[in-house]
Amino acid sequence: MTNASEVLSSIQSAFPGAVLDSRVESDRRLWATIDSKKILDVCKHLTNKLNFDHYSGSAGVDWIARNEMEVVEIMASHGAHKVVAMLKVKTPRENPSVKSLANLYWNANWYEREIWEMFGINFEGHPGLYPLLLSDQLIGSWPWRKDFKGYPDLTTGERAVAITTPEGYTEYRFPPTPAEVEAGAVVAERPKYPTFREREEREIKSDSEMIMHLGPQHAMVPGPFLLDVLVEGERVKKGFLDVGYIHKGIEKIMENRTWLQGIVYTDRMCYVASLSNNECYCGAVEKILGLEVPERAQYIRVILEELSRIQSHLIGTGEFLTLVAGVGYAPWQYMIIDRERIISLIESVTGARLTHTFVRFGGVRNDLPDDFAEKCKSTLPYIKSRINEFIELFAQDAIYQKRMENVGVLSAEDAKRVGIAGPALRASGVAYDMRVEDPILVYPDLDFKVIVGTKGDCADRVDCRLREILESIYIIEQCLDRIPAGPIKPEAKIPKKVPAGEAYYRVEDPRGEMGMYVISDGGDKPYRVKVRGPFYATLQTLPPLLEGVYIADVVAIAGSMDGCPSEADR
Amino acid sequence: MGISDVIPVPVAIDDEIEKWTIFGQPVAEVWFTTTEKIHQIIEMGPIKNIFNWGRKNSVYFLMQPMGCCGVEMFVFGAAPYDSDRFGCIPRNTPRQTDVMIMSGYITRKYLPVFKNLWEEMPEPKWCIAIGECAISGGPFYDSYNIIQNTADYFPIDVFIPGCPPRPEQFLEGLINLQEKIKQRKDKRDY
Repeated sequence: MTNASEVLSSIQSAFPGAVLDSRVESDRRLWATIDSKKILDVCKHLTNKLNFDHYSGSAGVDWIARNEMEVVEIMASHGAHKVVAMLKVKTPRENPSVKSLANLYWNANWYEREIWEMFGINFEGHPGLYPLLLSDQLIGSWPWRKDFKGYPDLTTGERAVAITTPEGYTEYRFPPTPAEVEAGAVVAERPKYPTFREREEREIKSDSEMIMHLGPQHAMVPGPFLLDVLVEGERVKKGFLDVGYIHKGIEKIMENRTWLQGIVYTDRMCYVASLSNNECYCGAVEKILGLEVPERAQYIRVILEELSRIQSHLIGTGEFLTLVAGVGYAPWQYMIIDRERIISLIESVTGARLTHTFVRFGGVRNDLPDDFAEKCKSTLPYIKSRINEFIELFAQDAIYQKRMENVGVLSAEDAKRVGIAGPALRASGVAYDMRVEDPILVYPDLDFKVIVGTKGDCADRVDCRLREILESIYIIEQCLDRIPAGPIKPEAKIPKKVPAGEAYYRVEDPRGEMGMYVISDGGDKPYRVKVRGPFYATLQTLPPLLEGVYIADVVAIAGSMDGCPSEADR
Repeated sequence: MGISDVIPVPVAIDDEIEKWTIFGQPVAEVWFTTTEKIHQIIEMGPIKNIFNWGRKNSVYFLMQPMGCCGVEMFVFGAAPYDSDRFGCIPRNTPRQTDVMIMSGYITRKYLPVFKNLWEEMPEPKWCIAIGECAISGGPFYDSYNIIQNTADYFPIDVFIPGCPPRPEQFLEGLINLQEKIKQRKDKRDY
């Protein structure tokens, strides 16, 4: 079993002088500052020699006081060992530039595009640095830098200029604010995202091809994103994805709120499963604070997160079924009716239906109500019987099987390479679950299986999701039996100021691996919060997955990924 | 000139029917008449509210989830809260809808898209702003990418506060909108 210090010594012996600074936090976390010239070699070494085959994401940090910027590469492994390596690369603040990993890891593409548009850090050798989340008007103002002047911007409505397009629609332009002009944040020549007309002109080569737009508005995806598919006849030739239609800038907003207020924003990041977002943020802050969570609070958190997982999977399955066979919304109604029971269970504890703000640093907000165990015992068997019914129904239905089998197949090697996680990865046969890989709370004491599929097609993904619900119910039943009496919050008062430090914390979101990288500079506000969202990684894999499929399968594949674009856009 | 001037009235009308009247007018004139005439007749009787009655009981809304409120909108349209009871049915395309439910934050990138959706909807149409984000930016009031004053862009009829509001509040907002539709004055003063 590899541990963090072995990884560090391996890098140091292979590349003497490459590690400028290092810290072994625990067996599972390695923090190292790597010489920016050697980062590519170090990453190759990690991947080839030390089984770091999961590029998990990267984060940019603007250290304005030190006049430098940092890119943090997060590297992990798909089950070979449990070390997460956080490799930092430093670059000066004037003309920041680092080497791109996009040619080494396919999924680094989007992370680097995001860092480029938010911080203005150039990536040498990146295949195409063009906007990902921001609209054209904001490109070049580098909003996540600490000296971004156009923030807060309360004047957008007054500044809007309405322009009528040739098609007769109204478009709005926002001229830069005086502050932005003064700061020199407005760049004269900005790289623009191609409009659909430009895309049509560029991509359509023959008369038999056309571009179909799916979205941004879509009735059955809980947030807008645009999927353009270039089709020839019935086959898709290429897919294009535009995200950022609900980019709220949560990571930037959280830098301007106190630590406690930040929890509210994690709720709104992925509202379909907000409790695991809460857990992720609070866990990271607890790590910096060095807080121990009382055992009862740990059990309460596990129970609620599993309930949250159940309702998220139900709504995800409902969306998928409506997308593939939405006649009369019947499957949708079944899922929503069952979901309401789970929601009412969660509501009896947290008092809210969607946005709970329930998890606190070192504990939870309030205790379980007295009759919670009874309510669970009456509801969960019902849900279990329903889920068993659904699994049986899907397995027996010949039409469904014919429609979904071998559609959108993602092999295990491909799934690992593109960096997706959660049920979509496990359906391909890779048992990669954060509850096992990076165990938190009382998960190590609990008995549960990691559900894996065999083929990695749409039917498998949905089946995995449904069987995971059964597993979650089993976890909750164990927790209800074992939950001890005791305090739900730490006795000592939580300080308003968090000591300087950094932490990376991973939880298993219903959609997969969710990680938060939190930096504190000793103040009462976070210095930087980076969210590694699971659906961000999943969305990125959609366009290559769609190549060559039938048009009718596009929604099936996109739906089987169980989307929450809000968490991808943040 | 009415249509009865162009197309001759059938001669086979009974003497009896010629004597019948509706709202004081001969039935024969009503039967073979023009749109203008129909409007005159509608204005005369209690039937004059029929358009607004029809509109208020078939407010189809655009299924357009944009945020947390969008998930509540799912539930509002589905069986547990059953907006069908009020004639409020989710539709997938703006061309079939009467009500735009603004269910979340509008970003700079999404505003033109949203405006297009609004312009694609046929008249008469209404707009409901749901949740703090759609009303004033909500918790994202100081974000660089969120439009704070949506009322500058869209003629919002009903505001439903909450973060997110419960589906029951959706229903209350809908009933308020129906009241508003009922009292609506048309160009023809119905």
